[in-house]
Formats: sequence, structure tokens, C-alpha cells
Amino acid sequence: MLPVCSRLARVGTARTLSLFSSTAPSNWSKVVSEAERIVGYPTSFMSLRCLLSDELSNVAMHVRRLVGTDHPLLDTARGLVYDSRSHLQMRGLVVLLLSKAAGPSSQPAPDLQAQDMVSGIYPSQRNLAEIAELIHTAFLVHRGVVNLKDWTTARGQLKDMQFGNKMAVLSGDFLLANACTGLAQLNNTKVVELISSAIGDLVQGVYYENSSNLQDHNPGDILDMDAWEEQTFLSHGALLAKSCQAAMELAKHQPESQRLAYKYGKHLSLGHQLHTDLQPFVGSGGGERSAFSLNSGPVVFHRHIVGRDKWQQQLEEAKKFPDHLDYSKLWAAIKSERGVSSAVDLCRYHGNKALEAIQAFPPSEARSALENIAGAVTKL
Amino acid sequence: MAVPWSHCWRRSLTNCTKTRLCGYTPSPRRLPGGLVVPSPAGRSGRIHSDTKLKDPFSLAQKDLTHLYEDIKKELFVSGPELRSLCDYYFDGKGKAFRPMVVVLMARAINVHSNNKGDLLPGQRSVAMISEMIHTASLVHDDVIDGSDQRRGKSTINDLWGERKAILAGDFILSAASMALARIGNTTVVSVLSQVVEDLVRGEFMQMGSKENENERFKLYLDKTFKKTASLIANSCRAVSILVNSDPDVHEIAFQYGKNVGIAFQLVDDVLDFTACAAHLGKPSAADLKLGLATGPVLFACQQFPELHSMIMRRFTSQGDVEQAWEYVIQSDGVQQTSYLARRYCDEAVRQVSRLRPSPERDALIRLTEMVLTRDK
Repeated sequence: MLPVCSRLARVGTARTLSLFSSTAPSNWSKVVSEAERIVGYPTSFMSLRCLLSDELSNVAMHVRRLVGTDHPLLDTARGLVYDSRSHLQMRGLVVLLLSKAAGPSSQPAPDLQAQDMVSGIYPSQRNLAEIAELIHTAFLVHRGVVNLKDWTTARGQLKDMQFGNKMAVLSGDFLLANACTGLAQLNNTKVVELISSAIGDLVQGVYYENSSNLQDHNPGDILDMDAWEEQTFLSHGALLAKSCQAAMELAKHQPESQRLAYKYGKHLSLGHQLHTDLQPFVGSGGGERSAFSLNSGPVVFHRHIVGRDKWQQQLEEAKKFPDHLDYSKLWAAIKSERGVSSAVDLCRYHGNKALEAIQAFPPSEARSALENIAGAVTKL
Repeated sequence: MAVPWSHCWRRSLTNCTKTRLCGYTPSPRRLPGGLVVPSPAGRSGRIHSDTKLKDPFSLAQKDLTHLYEDIKKELFVSGPELRSLCDYYFDGKGKAFRPMVVVLMARAINVHSNNKGDLLPGQRSVAMISEMIHTASLVHDDVIDGSDQRRGKSTINDLWGERKAILAGDFILSAASMALARIGNTTVVSVLSQVVEDLVRGEFMQMGSKENENERFKLYLDKTFKKTASLIANSCRAVSILVNSDPDVHEIAFQYGKNVGIAFQLVDDVLDFTACAAHLGKPSAADLKLGLATGPVLFACQQFPELHSMIMRRFTSQGDVEQAWEYVIQSDGVQQTSYLARRYCDEAVRQVSRLRPSPERDALIRLTEMVLTRDK
């Protein structure tokens, strides 16, 4: 058993699943349900075809065997079921809103007929929104594959972990394969290339994620905000940014619209991740602090401000036991410096950049919804 | 550099080959499930062109010299560790069987279509992509099967852990998909995306066991198509689409790849029983240990009905693997499976013989023989 690792892995999962869901619930839910009304899609974007397939039903049946084990696939599956309403599928929603905000194509093409549009969105753009969600979900599942060598001490558990891994690999692969065939059906090789590169970005972002979650200093540690932004863009931003751009390409909008859509997606993701990372640090003090990632935005800012040596010292002081950190103590140390306020500033910067990017689109309900989403990200 | 591949195919006499696979022709027995196997027309009426038969390997070599370097160029990663994982199997030690079939087919179809044998850049890309998709699926398969050895070296999951192995596989797939998009042909993108879906569906099919014997055999062949033959068949179809507009020609390419692919896997399943571990680069009876009933077991089950319950419980009881192994060796399951492989190769020959004669076409014909006689 590796208590630290598994606990941190769970922190990591929770952070991922709460993506787009940690804002003050009332405000955020309002923004989202309004947006869903505008795109004419009240429920989940996740492909029903996929969810109802024999393959995934099979996995769902097997996953029950994992109940009571520590395999992350269980949490991921739970998250997909309970968190799916309005929160998990923000990528798809943003893609649809941007598609609608950009309007009908100015270029005549056989597959871009105005009468095929539903709520102002082309079918291909709806498919793209679904593909973005499939890819995102595939990585939620794949990043939960565990290393079996960490489990060799407990025989029974090893078997569970092996089984959980098998299910995670297969279901993630299944979602990715469906994304591949879905992409091919869009009949646009530019879009295939763009979204495929986003998959590569995601891998690179996720690859170093866990190694840098460990408390001790290691080569995976993010040293400054530039590195943080780069890493966060890969793991949390590239898929949205490139999907937004691809939605414009599908409607044959000008390169300038594509650039702006990409910009909106990129800054929204970065702003949103900062917003999520800031949650443990905003609001009132006191009480036991729960674990937060040491590579979250505010902590990286803090580390950069106080310097390596002082940070190392603060970490030592917060260590109760060799593998246990007193997060309340660390929290207080971080709060006493400017790291949090710098992160707030950066969050607002990205929110505003996102707002700026969509100003070139004509005013519409869809654009307002996009503005509200960008606005909600900056509210702390 | 794919130098050592030809060695794998030369039939070296080894002590560990229990059963000779070639030259054995059992009387054709009805297959389980009244299965329709391709007619052996090609056997008797084989047409060869006058050109001297060339070794498929040397013929394809010139198009594949830089295969692995080019694949590595596609795998553009920033992190050094992820980079070394992605490069790991592209070390030039693989057989590169798929790229070889693809370039030979491409040149054969080019001759058939316009009398010029030159390889188009897109066709070369398909050859490269076929090897990338194949490798990505190997990396994931090794995690699913819990393998620690592949091609005589440790697997990625054994060295770097399961989590990173899966991500590396995903990365190779994304790079393949980008290269595929850059060919710029939407039909080719569709054809090869289908392969990715087939690979996963094939893996899912492997999870269940069917009670009914006929269904079981059908499922086995269907799984074999999806997991092995689809990649070869659709890559052949893709290179044909890139140069020719005649659907009949695409179909010839597809059918050749499909039949050779299924034969290739049937021989693989036979080798799991006949080749020794060191020679194969992976442990023998590996399939039984994974709970999989392949061709030899399914045939043996006709002679030894005791196998049925073992198949259903996926050889999980104590001594199942050893017992099943014995039954298979005592039965003619291995010979029947080899015979079936031969019939598929005959059909592949029949199909590709419809193309205009060329050294590459004849190499594809010879290749079917080598698929049957390979011993590792």
C-alpha cells in the first residue's frame, strides 16, 4: 500500500472531475442551463450510441466487481454518472455556443446547407462537440490506470487492480476509437489533424501530471508560471481550444474567426483551471484544510515568490510524518504571501482575454452566454 | 532500418518445432459450423507471370529503408521520457510485416493501374501508419494481457508501469492519426479509422466465451479479422484508393489483405503450440494462459469434448492449461488450423492474381507461402 500515492491520486481525480463544476453552484448552474437552452440540447452530449453499446454495457457490468476496491476507474465511472448533469460536458457546450455565435457559413458548400442547421448549429459541429467529450472522457478513464508494481504486496488487491486496469484500458480505447471514426465522418482532414494533435497534447499534459503531484521535489516539479501555463494548456486547454477552432473550420469560417475561437477556448481553460485551483484559498480561514495540489496555480506562484529554499523549509515544517503533510499549516504559509492574489490576477487576465476574443463575433444570445461563462470564471 | 526481418522467415530447423506446419495436407474436414472457407481454386490454377520470382523482402526493402526513422520523426514529443517510450518498439527489430505488404500492394496496384510502379508519398505514409497503429495496439495489448516480454525484450508496462504505457500507446495513435490526416484524403481517413475501431471491438470479443460451438468458431474468425486482418486489409485498400478509382480493384486489395491477415493470425495461433518460448520471443501456450481458445483448441474440441467445459471456464481451474495443451497436441487441431490457414492463403493468391503481372504482385503471391512456413 502506498497511502500517499493513492490519496494523492484520488485528489488528482477529484480535481479532474470537478473541472468546471467548482464555481459557486447557483451562479454556475444558471449560466450553464441558460447556455444549454440556447444550443437546443437540454441533456448530455455524450454519444448515446457509445453509452448504449454492447461494449460499454459489458464494462459497466464488470465495473461492479471493483466496488470496494481502490481502483480509480470506479471513481471515474461514478463521476460520469453523478456529475454528468451540466458540468462535465462544458467542452461540448462551449463548442456549440461558439458555432452558433459564429453563425452560418458564408461559403456555399453541399454539406453546409442552412436547412440542416438545428438551433443555428450544423450537424457536423454537433458531432464535433460530442467527439471532444468522448476524447475528454477517454482520458479521464486512461489517466486512472494504476501501476501494478505499487500493488504487489497485497495479493487480492493486485488482482482487482489488474482487472480494473483491463477495464479502464478497454473502455478508454473504445471511446477513443469512436472519436476516431467520428472524426473521419466529418470529412475534413484539417479537423482530423487538429483534433488528433489535441489528443497528443492531452497525453503530454497528463503524462507528467502524477509524477509532479508527489510532495517531494522531483524532476517533474513545475518551477514557474510559464511552465505551469504550458502544462495546464496541454492537459486542460488544448482540446477545448482546438475543438473551438475546428468548429469554425467545419463551417468554413475565415482563418481570423478560427484564431479567435482558439483564443477563447485557450484563455477560458486557463482561467477556469486557475479558478478551480484557487478554490481552497478563497473564502474564510480556520478549520482543517483538505489536501490541495502542490502544483496548482497559487502554490506555484507562491513557490516562485518565496524561492526554492524557503519553500523547502515550509514544506519541512508542515511535515507531521514523513509521508503526511499538515495542509492547514501549509495553507497559512501560502496565504501569508502574494501567491494567491497573483493567481487571482492571472485568472482575471485569462477571463478577460477570453471575453476579448469573442467581441469580434456579432452580438447574439450565444455570444452573451459565452461572455457569461468567461465572466463566471473570473468571479472569486 | 529493418534489416533482420528476413531472418525470421527463413525456415531454420529447430528442435522445438513439434509439428511440421507445411506440406501437410489433411483430408479437408467439415469445419465447425459449416463454415464457408474460401474455395481452393488458387491452389490448382495458380498463375505466375514470367518474371523471375523475387524475394518479397528485398523487393520491399528499398521503400522501407527509412521506415523507422520516419516514424520517429512523426512522434514529436517534448518530454524525453515519453519520447523514449514512444520510440521503444521502433528500434528496427520488428518484422515490419504490415508495411512490407502495403508497399508491395501499392506498387502492384500502381502497375495494374497505370503501368508505372512508383510509390506515391501517400502510399508510403499508409505503410508507416500501418506499423504505428499496429505498435500502439501492441502496447495496449501488453497491459491488458499483463505481458512482460515482447520481441525478446521487456515490455513498456514492465519497465515504466501500466499508466505510462497506456499514455504512450495513445500518443503513438494520435501521431498516426495526424499523419493519416496529412495524406489529405477523407476516404483513406475513414478506411483506416475503421481499423482502430475494429481493433478495440476485437479485443472486447475476446472477453466472452460462447456456449455454442458453431458460434464460437465464427466468433473466433470474426475476432481474428478484427484484431489482425482488418489493419492489413484496410491498409491495402487505402493504397489502392490513392491511385485507382475502380472499386473492384480496391476490393482485390482488401480481400488479399484480409485473407493473408487471417492466415497470418491462424499460423500465429498454431505457433503458440508448436514453437518454443525462446524462439517466439514470448512464452508459449500464452493464449491458453490468457484464457483464450484459439483455432487449434477449437478443432481439438471436436475430438475431445472434455475441452468444452475448460473453454467455458477459460482454463482457470488448476491443471486446465496443461490438460488442454495435451489434448491439442494429441488431436489434429494444429494440422487443421494450418490447413485452414492454407485455404485462406489460396484465396489471397486467387484475389491478387487478378491484378496485372508485376514483380510486386508475384512477391505478394510468394509471401502467402512464407506466411504459412514461418516459424516465429
